[in-house]
Amino acid sequence: MEALPQTLLFGILRSGLYALTALGLAISLGVIGIVNFAHGEFVMLGAYLGFWLYLTLSGPLGLGPEVSPLVLAVGIPLSALVLFIVGRGVFRFTLRPLLARPELDQMLLTFGMAILIQNSVVIALSPQALDANLGWRFELIEMPGGVVSVTYARVAAFVLSMALVAGTYLLLARTRIGKQMRAVAQNRLGAMVVGIHVDRVYEVAFGLSLALAAGAGVMLIFSTQVSPFIGLATILKAFSIVVLAGLGNLFGVVWASLLLGVAEQVISQYVPNGAALRDGLFFLIIFVVLLVRPGGLGRSR
Amino acid sequence: MALLEAEGLVRRFRGLAAVDGLSFTVEEGKTLAVIGPNGAGKTTAFNLISGLLAPNAGRVAFRGSDVTRKRAHDRCRMGLGRTFQVVQPFAELDVVGNVMVGALFGGGAKSVDAARREALRLCELVGLGAKAAWPVGGLTVPDRKRLELARALATRPAVLMLDEVMEGLTPVEEREAVALLHRIRAEGVTLLLIEHVMSTVRDLSDRVIVMDYGKKIAEGTYAEISRDPKVIAAYLGSEEPMRGAVPPSDPPA
Amino acid sequence: MRRALAGWAAFLVVAALVPLAIGGDRYLMLLANVMLMFMALALSWDVVARTGQLSLAHGAFFGLGAYTVALGHRYAALHPLLGLLLAAVVGTAVAAGLGVVTLRLRGIYFAIATLAFAEVLRTVAFQLPDITGGPVGISMPPLFDGDRLLSYYVAGAIFVVALALSLGVRYTRAHYAVTAVRTNETVAAAMGVPVVRTKVLTFAASALVATLAGAFYMPFITHTDPQDAFEVSRSVAALVFPIFGGIYTTIGPVIGTIVLRSFEEYLRVTPPWKEGYQVVYGAVIVLAVLFMPRGLLGLTQRVRAWRS
Repeated sequence: MEALPQTLLFGILRSGLYALTALGLAISLGVIGIVNFAHGEFVMLGAYLGFWLYLTLSGPLGLGPEVSPLVLAVGIPLSALVLFIVGRGVFRFTLRPLLARPELDQMLLTFGMAILIQNSVVIALSPQALDANLGWRFELIEMPGGVVSVTYARVAAFVLSMALVAGTYLLLARTRIGKQMRAVAQNRLGAMVVGIHVDRVYEVAFGLSLALAAGAGVMLIFSTQVSPFIGLATILKAFSIVVLAGLGNLFGVVWASLLLGVAEQVISQYVPNGAALRDGLFFLIIFVVLLVRPGGLGRSR
Repeated sequence: MALLEAEGLVRRFRGLAAVDGLSFTVEEGKTLAVIGPNGAGKTTAFNLISGLLAPNAGRVAFRGSDVTRKRAHDRCRMGLGRTFQVVQPFAELDVVGNVMVGALFGGGAKSVDAARREALRLCELVGLGAKAAWPVGGLTVPDRKRLELARALATRPAVLMLDEVMEGLTPVEEREAVALLHRIRAEGVTLLLIEHVMSTVRDLSDRVIVMDYGKKIAEGTYAEISRDPKVIAAYLGSEEPMRGAVPPSDPPA
Repeated sequence: MRRALAGWAAFLVVAALVPLAIGGDRYLMLLANVMLMFMALALSWDVVARTGQLSLAHGAFFGLGAYTVALGHRYAALHPLLGLLLAAVVGTAVAAGLGVVTLRLRGIYFAIATLAFAEVLRTVAFQLPDITGGPVGISMPPLFDGDRLLSYYVAGAIFVVALALSLGVRYTRAHYAVTAVRTNETVAAAMGVPVVRTKVLTFAASALVATLAGAFYMPFITHTDPQDAFEVSRSVAALVFPIFGGIYTTIGPVIGTIVLRSFEEYLRVTPPWKEGYQVVYGAVIVLAVLFMPRGLLGLTQRVRAWRS
């Protein structure tokens, strides 16, 4: 049972990145109503961007592995900005014309984009996982009492993710564009009636969702191995969180992430053959929630 | 014989009651019209009765049996047919194909060929005989309404719910539509209509109920309700004239 | 309809004679076998698409079929042809279960659930080495001792099943049901179409065929592992072939398979595509959805219309 605090802490820390990734997905799903199957690939792109930044800063600029915090400080805003712009462009030229068409077409498009992006990276770079000798990944923080041990990287990822999530919530709650996004998410027709320029809101929302994905991606290189193929696992976790919180329930994403993050760790630690079941956990969640409460476990409608 | 009964139907959307305790009956062979200002909850009521929406409270009975739990497609098969206010044909099927959907599933046709024969017959009945093989994209507004009617008729309804079938029609087309509805009635179909065009209501209906804010505020013959001060107030209050309202002392056209 | 049936009968005759043209070339016979298998898979995916649903699990049912046959052989000494039957039952049952839960809801939930389902199967096969052999995979002796001509006709039989499904959904009342459901579920229900039942039955029938294709694959290829059996690329293939050739038709998936799968053989061995050849499929999907929604067949229709 000594492992319990460690397990819980791990779960909580991991949930930070999950929440960030899932929030991005929840925004495109809730505001625009499209399933972006390529969301995980944009996380992957963010990770590759972050890694490139790390190599650039530590290598040619001779700053060495200590540059990791700088990578986060610069990489997150940089990749977020890049993907925000890319996202708006992608939306305008591919998704917007499809909004009037059946859902099948929209889903096919994002799925095709996912395959396209994933394999482009395989061809342009390599199918091998990134050889990230990111020393900072493994540096442990000195914890009093020795009950738990944790790396700087995990703590930083959690703190930064939650900061970004909180920032996004503030944006949604307080800014004009945020309120417009929530209005459109609640009632598109009503939003149009009161004069909200829905197309523009969609564009911003999509850009925002990709920006969040990119930010999450940059932090990912400090927690796991990154390859062109991480998109699928990423998006499945994000989907199960979004389904658990309930479609359109943007504010419920955090606690759903916490729940899943902790559950994931607890299961792999304490249940026999837990590692195998852990991945199945996400599908099980999706399946059970859809069976019992398709609206998600959030507030009842 | 009460063919269709609605009892205490309630349906809320995010706290607001679109339908708030609605009760009425449809007698076999007696046309019932539902009128009321926009937003009164008429289409929601139709959706509750046809099974496309589940009520928060209340029940629906058809031919004496409780259908509140039954799915829309089951109710259709039992004989509850409807048209939609915004006509929505199946774009990838041609005219006769659209009607065949109704014939095959709601109407229980024994084979695709039998369904096609019935569909062609109904196309003739509504006046689309010449256009049976047309793609639906080429149809005019009145033709689309004809298609909507034919498709609903193909489901062999005992009660046919018509949602604002006169909307968008010129006065000439309106008269044709009313004549068509008379013919449909003659085939033994009981009509339940939502309508804004009062001349139609006056000409076709045996009884009228008036809805406002999800509730039934009046019930009676056209003559009775058009004199009812509550009804007049509801319409006046909504800034919406009772379109084509005629004084009840006019002889029927 | 009779014309279509005659056309397909002719196609089957030609297909039956293909081995004669190939002679003894083992590589070409391998291609021919695999081609039939993929045509069946593509046809099965298209049928589900006709109800307006996006299945990302057809590759998973394929893998499920493969593993069912392999496990049936390992634990019950089941002959591969019997394994085919077992796989068909398993695939249909699983699909029906999955469908009943998810097809009551919006299409996006079904699509997500199929994606998750595929990943779960792969993980289960990976993480239970005592049962499935884990990452190392599982083997079984070759079908008909490696006689690729005999296996070709087994693949052909599965293709015929797929063809029957595709044509059946087109030329019976099912055509009206699926088209109505795909266009507008609400109105379809109001016209008496049992929407959920239509979607579930279609999905189950489609999964049956996809599972059969995988069940054929296993003894044909003699060895598989979770990575191979459940690779996403097969789900991609299942959908890109029909989309490219012409969705909602029977000819479309067949043509799309022949063209793209042949092209794939070239890509797989040619740098720089080699491992990333799927990028072509991604591009095809994106471009087809945006510019060519009815695939090659749609293009020829448009050209014909424009000419007349």
